[in-house]
Order: sequence, then structure tokens, then C-alpha cells
Amino acid sequence: MDENTDLKLLGFIVERLEVGILAIDPQFRVVLWNRFMETHSGRDLDSMRGQCLFESFPELPERWLRRKIESVFELGNYSFTSWEQRPYLFRFQHNRPITGGVDAMRQNCTFLPLRDASGVVRLVVLTLSDYTDTALIQQKLTAAMAVSDEERRKQRALLRRLQDAKAQLFQSEKLASIGQLAAGVAHEINNPVGFVTSNLGSLERYLIDLTTLIESYASHADQLPPAAAEAVRRQREKLDYDFIREDLGALIRESREGLDHIRRIILDLKDFTRVDQSGWQLADLEKAFDSTLNVVWNELKYKATIVKDYRHPPQVECIPGQINQVLMNLLVNAGHALGEKGEITLRTGPDPSEVTGAVAEVWVEVEDDGCGISVEHQKRIFDPFFTTKPVGQGTGLGLSVSYNIIRRHGGRIDVRSTVGVGTCFRLTLPVQRSEVADAVSESPDLAAEVTPEELLALEGPDGA
Amino acid sequence: MSTAGASPAPAGFAAAGSAAPASATTAPANLSEDQTAALQEIANIGMGQAGDSIARIWKQFVALSVPRIALVESGRIPTLIHHFVGDARVSAARQAFHGAMRGEVLVVIGRGNRDQLGELMGYDGQLDLGEEQEMLLDIANVLGGACIGGIARQLGADVGFSAPSLIGTDLDSHAVVRPEELCVSTALCVEVCFTIESNQLSAHLIALMPREELVNLAQLLDRFLCNL
Amino acid sequence: MTVSVLVVDDSPIARKMLRKALPVDWDITVQEACNGEEAMTHYRAGKVDVMFLDLTMPTMDGFEVLAALQKEDLNCFVIVVSADVQPQARERALGLGAIAFVAKPVNAESVRTVLREYGVLV
Ligand SMILES: Nc1ncnc2c1ncn2[C@@H]1O[C@H](COP(=O)(O)OP(=O)(O)OP(=O)(O)O)[C@@H](O)[C@H]1O
Ligand SMILES: [Mg+2]
Repeated sequence: MDENTDLKLLGFIVERLEVGILAIDPQFRVVLWNRFMETHSGRDLDSMRGQCLFESFPELPERWLRRKIESVFELGNYSFTSWEQRPYLFRFQHNRPITGGVDAMRQNCTFLPLRDASGVVRLVVLTLSDYTDTALIQQKLTAAMAVSDEERRKQRALLRRLQDAKAQLFQSEKLASIGQLAAGVAHEINNPVGFVTSNLGSLERYLIDLTTLIESYASHADQLPPAAAEAVRRQREKLDYDFIREDLGALIRESREGLDHIRRIILDLKDFTRVDQSGWQLADLEKAFDSTLNVVWNELKYKATIVKDYRHPPQVECIPGQINQVLMNLLVNAGHALGEKGEITLRTGPDPSEVTGAVAEVWVEVEDDGCGISVEHQKRIFDPFFTTKPVGQGTGLGLSVSYNIIRRHGGRIDVRSTVGVGTCFRLTLPVQRSEVADAVSESPDLAAEVTPEELLALEGPDGA
Repeated sequence: MSTAGASPAPAGFAAAGSAAPASATTAPANLSEDQTAALQEIANIGMGQAGDSIARIWKQFVALSVPRIALVESGRIPTLIHHFVGDARVSAARQAFHGAMRGEVLVVIGRGNRDQLGELMGYDGQLDLGEEQEMLLDIANVLGGACIGGIARQLGADVGFSAPSLIGTDLDSHAVVRPEELCVSTALCVEVCFTIESNQLSAHLIALMPREELVNLAQLLDRFLCNL
Repeated sequence: MTVSVLVVDDSPIARKMLRKALPVDWDITVQEACNGEEAMTHYRAGKVDVMFLDLTMPTMDGFEVLAALQKEDLNCFVIVVSADVQPQARERALGLGAIAFVAKPVNAESVRTVLREYGVLV
């Protein structure tokens, strides 16, 4: 091949390559304009030759492009643009008239310097490659990735909710079975306590009879022969009969009190767990307070002074076992917050006489003068597993379980707290079971937030 | 990108540079003392020219650090970059060069005043994300071309450049290079810092060449030394 | 008359490059210094007619040398040879009394032109 054919071949390639090729001189005049440029711009080389690029294409970003081309002339190095940052330089139609999806041809451009023999850059050649297909694929990929990212995020959120729900379920089940156990034990104790109580009654009557008998013997003591009378008197002194007679009464009384106490505890336990009557029913929240207090009394008696401030609101329709659970959580938390010693105030309201018309909502408060809760923590105390207590003392579930119970009752739980001053939790419950409450309580906690499809998705083939 | 061999450019023009790449055989352990000294001086001169060109196209005074040259284990590269750049959040781009010398240039740019810099480069008003990325790529391209081009020219070597690509804007300086991405065990590192004072903008250029490439570089340096 | 020339540069390669660029037909003795302090010692010994001075050096850079020379009445020709070729560096060097500024890499042509211009070389 001689030089001429070589050049011809090159010329042909430049002309026919599916790449836009143009060359400009330092005055930005067009020197070369290949067929790709002709077809896409609708202007042929003859009309472009010698024309200033910016005059022919006023839509080009002139200031920036001038700088860019000038720097190629100045530095003699390649320069580039990419469709990702700058979709196109020349606004050309793209090659997807039917299956499009972008507004114009996406282009990657290269600016290359051409030096003359003395090393001075005389021309800058601009090549333009069509990247529309790549851009479209990228667009689809990005969209698909966004969808799968979103899905993954949802799954993670679901998984977390599922775990929370499981933990809460476990906690409430644990409490419920403890309650059942306690009720069972209470029931078992009830029988022996019953017959001990009745036996104690008989015993008391028999003792009264026996002492009456002894007294009547004593009233005839002067009729005994002196030696026998003396023996009886000594025996009486030795046994300290007078003391026995006095003490017997006290012993019986105290035993009866003890038995009463046992009976009350049993009743409270039964009342607290309500295993016998677990559904919705009218309940007196002050009674609920009292029986719960008895159950947790052991935890509180050495450090807490209990103040009751009751206003006798009407009964509310609720699931008493669950409300008791909430009250117990609040009382135990208050006890923990007190530290060495302090005061817990149990308040109820409103006073029906102060309300015009029927009372719609009843509230109860547990207030302590303990350590208080910081503002940041206040945002998190209802989160499952949020606890500030040492391992073993708190699992951080008490308030989150309580929150859910109250929510299912269509009520609210609010907290006011000042660090170092104390904390007050207030439960507000509707007097009548509301429709919302029904809707929420009918479905178990988990299903309330997670649809069956979501659950299926969670436990799908790749496991959850 | 570079034209290799004998295919002629249109009459009267030659594409930048024209020598064919030297072929590699065995990798030297390191550059000799003379070779290193030569590379240091060539880098000094190359950076001086780069600074001058940049000052001319951006019409700003550019302060330059003395280039630092070291052979480093690739595992240490992230630490090294952090050492050069400090704790600030940065933007970064990379550009490959090939031909008689092969390697990659990393350009790491501090925050600076982007809008003002954008103005210098011919953008209008506040930069959007695409423009900011494009500007970063352009800066990387200009710095990489000027520095590596300057070194190559003095060595009479023909070097071409690929289009620069984005590593990221607003990165932690540790995150510019992840050790697991590196596919060489040792690299020659040439670092220089450009500061455009009016914009409080500083850019670090780190040129990395795989150790296998040292053979070519050593030959070029020997040729340079012979001609002294 | 033999001219005594001092080449100041921290880089041995740069010193070599410069010596190579000096006119071959010039009657000179050449000494080298690899930092500003050494250059000052040579200068104070009184045997420097022409000094080729690099700007960036670790101990005592070119600008400091120029300032010190000015204090000591500067009676030699100082030609700054620098890789930093921005106008700011050139102006500062000339302002401190250098007679000329030559950009690196030096070549015989540019050195000869400068020497001719200032009549150091005929
Ligand atoms: N009355 C209170 N005073 C101060 N802090 C409280 C009070 N009630 C709750 N908190 C804070 O809220 C946190 C969460 O309480 P929650 O009842 O949910 O869990 P817990 O008491 O830590 O553990 P448990 O699962 O055993 O109830 C507690 O760790 C505590 O920091
Ligand atoms: Mg608790």
C-alpha cells in the first residue's frame, strides 16, 4: 500500500465511523466534520467548514466549552466529558426512535490535541460516541437497584418488628403463666386455709368452754380438803394459768388475723390474674390498684411510702388482667426509680361530681419522686429492650408491653418527668370499649402491623 | 489513546508524543540512587511546568509542594493517602495512563470554594452535583495530564490517558482507596500537592505505578542519565 | 580571564544538567554547592563570579541566598534556575537582585542567550 491509499483508507474510516468526529482551529472554526456529524446535525461539511462552532450551535454551553477547548490548546493534553455528568454536548436524536426512554443521544466526548511539527497544538479534534444504550441500561439498573434496596429495607424493618413482637409475646405469655401458676397455688392453699379457719373457730369455742369449766371448778376450790386445795393452787401457779388464759385469746386472735391475711392475698392474686374471668368486663381501677399493690408489696414495703389520692371515677370496660399487668409494671418501675427511700402516689380521676355529663375517660397515675428520666431517654422508653437497668434487673420490655396493652384498649399512656425530681405515668382509658380498641384487640399484636403476605415474604424460601 | 507505530496523522500533524513503549522483561527490586535522583529532578521540573500551565489556563497562582517519591507496599497506600491529605472530607477521581509508562493517577481534592472554582472553569452560577463531578474529573484530567505528561516529555516517552473516572465526592480520606481493590503488591508513588490560594483549594496528586513497570521506567531514566 | 562559576542545587542530577548546558568555549572553573549555606561559604571565600542558583533547597533556599547576598553587597552575577516558572517566582527572584531567570530543564541555548544578554559571555 502506498501512502496515498493509506490516506484514502484513513479518510474513509474517519468519514464512515459511527463516531462523531470534528476538528476545530484556535478560533473555534470547524475544519473537519464527518458523516456522523452531518447525519445527526443535518448540516453538511460544506456549510460548516470555516464556521465558528458557537455561531452555528448557539445552544452549546459556550463559556465552559471555550475554556475546555482552550485548555486543550494550551496544555496539549486530552480532555473528556462523560454522559453521566453531562448527558450530551450536541443535542442529537438518539438511535431508539421506537423503544426510547431518554430525551436525546447520550454522548461521551474526547478532545484530542493535534500538534504540528514544532509541537504547537494547531487543531483540537472532538470525537463523540453514542452512549444512549449504555445510559438506558444504566437507568434500568439504577431503578432495579432502588427497588431492591427499598425491598431489603422493608424486610429488615419487618424482621425487626417480628422480633420485637415475638419478644413481647414471650413476655406477656410468661406473665400470664406466672399468673396461672400463682392462681393454681392460691387455689390449693385455699382449701387447707379454709379448714384451718373453721377448725380455729371450733378450737376457740372449745377453749372458751374449757376455761369456763376450769373457772367453775375454781369457784368451788374452798370446799376441797386443805391438802388438795394446796396442790391445785401450786399446780396453777406452776403452769402460770392466769397468763395462759390471757394469752390464749391473743393467740387465737392473731392466728385468725394471719389467716385473714392469707385469704386476702389469695383473693388479690386471683383478682390480679383473673384467670377465671379473662375477657372484657367492667372493672374498678382503684380496686385494681389495691390488689396489684398487694402483689408487689414485698418489693416496695421497705422503701416506699404509698399515698393514695382516689377520686372514685366510674368503672371502665377493660381486660382487668392486662390492666393489672400495666399497673404492676408502673409500680415496679417507680419502686426501682426511688432508690433508698421515697414516695409513690397513686391517683385516679376524674371525680364524677366535677364532670358535667357522663364521664368518657378515666385516668390513673403512678407518680414517684425518684431519679426521673432524661428527655432523650423519654423518647425511647417505650421501645422494646430499652433499659437503663443492669442485666438481670430489667429486660426493657415492661413499658413496651404496657404501651401495646393500653393501645389495644384504645387508651393512651403519657409520661411527665424531670431528672432528679420524679416521674409521673398517666394511663387514660375510655369508659366504654371503643370500636378502635375492638379492631386492634381482635387481631394479635403482630398481625395488626404485618400483613399475611408480608409474613409469607419474611418466611419465604431464603429464610428469615 | 496515544497513536503508536507508524500510522501517519493528517499532513503536517503528529499526535502528542510518538515513541513506542519499551518492553518489560524482569522487574528490578528498586530504582538505583541515580535513577531516583533523576526521577526526583524530572518530577520537580514536570510539576513546575504543570503548575505554570495550570496557572495559565485558570489564571490563578498555584503553589506547589516538592514532589515526594517512594516505593510503597500497596497495603500502606490508604494510610499514606490519609497521611498526605489529613482528616478532611475529600473528593477523588482516578485516571489511568499507559504507553511507555503505565499506572494510575489519583487526584484527591479538599473542599475549597467550589463555586468560585466553577466560575474559573466556565460554569455559570451554583454547581449542581453533575457539574461538580464533571469539574472534579476535569481537574483530575488537567493535573494528571500536566504532571505525568511533563515527566513523560522529559523522558522522551509516549504516554496516553484514559478518560478519568469518579471515586466519589465527600469521602473520608481513608475511603479513597480500599486495600482490597488493589491488585499490585508494591507501587511507586509520586505525590505532589497543588494549592490554589485564592480558592483555598488544595489538590493532591498521587501517581502510582505497579512495580513491574519499574523496568520500563528504569530504562527511560538510564537513557536520560546517559544523555547527561 | 578565567571566570569562576558556582552551581547551586540540591539535586546532583540538576547540577550535572546545568554543567552540561554551560558553553564549551567558555573559559571557566566550576564549583558546586548543594545548598544555600554552602553557596554562601564559597561566596564569602571571594571566588564566585557567576552563580547559578536553584530556588527550592532544603537548608537555606534560593530566595534566602539572594537576600543574604544583597546584604553583603552582591558582587557577583546570580542567574536563578528554577522549576517553578510562574511569573510570581520570576518577579520575586529578579526583585531580590538576580540578573536573570532560567527555566528548568536548562539547555545550552537558553544559558548562552542569558550569558550573552548580560555581557558575561561575548
Ligand atoms: N418511674 C421511672 N423513673 C425513672 N425511670 C423510669 C421509670 N419508668 C421507666 N423508666 C426508665 O425506662 C426504662 C424502660 O422501662 P421498662 O419498664 O420498659 O423496662 P425495665 O424496667 O428496664 O425492664 P423490665 O422489662 O424488667 O420492665 C427503664 O430502664 C428506666 O430507665
Ligand atoms: Mg420495668
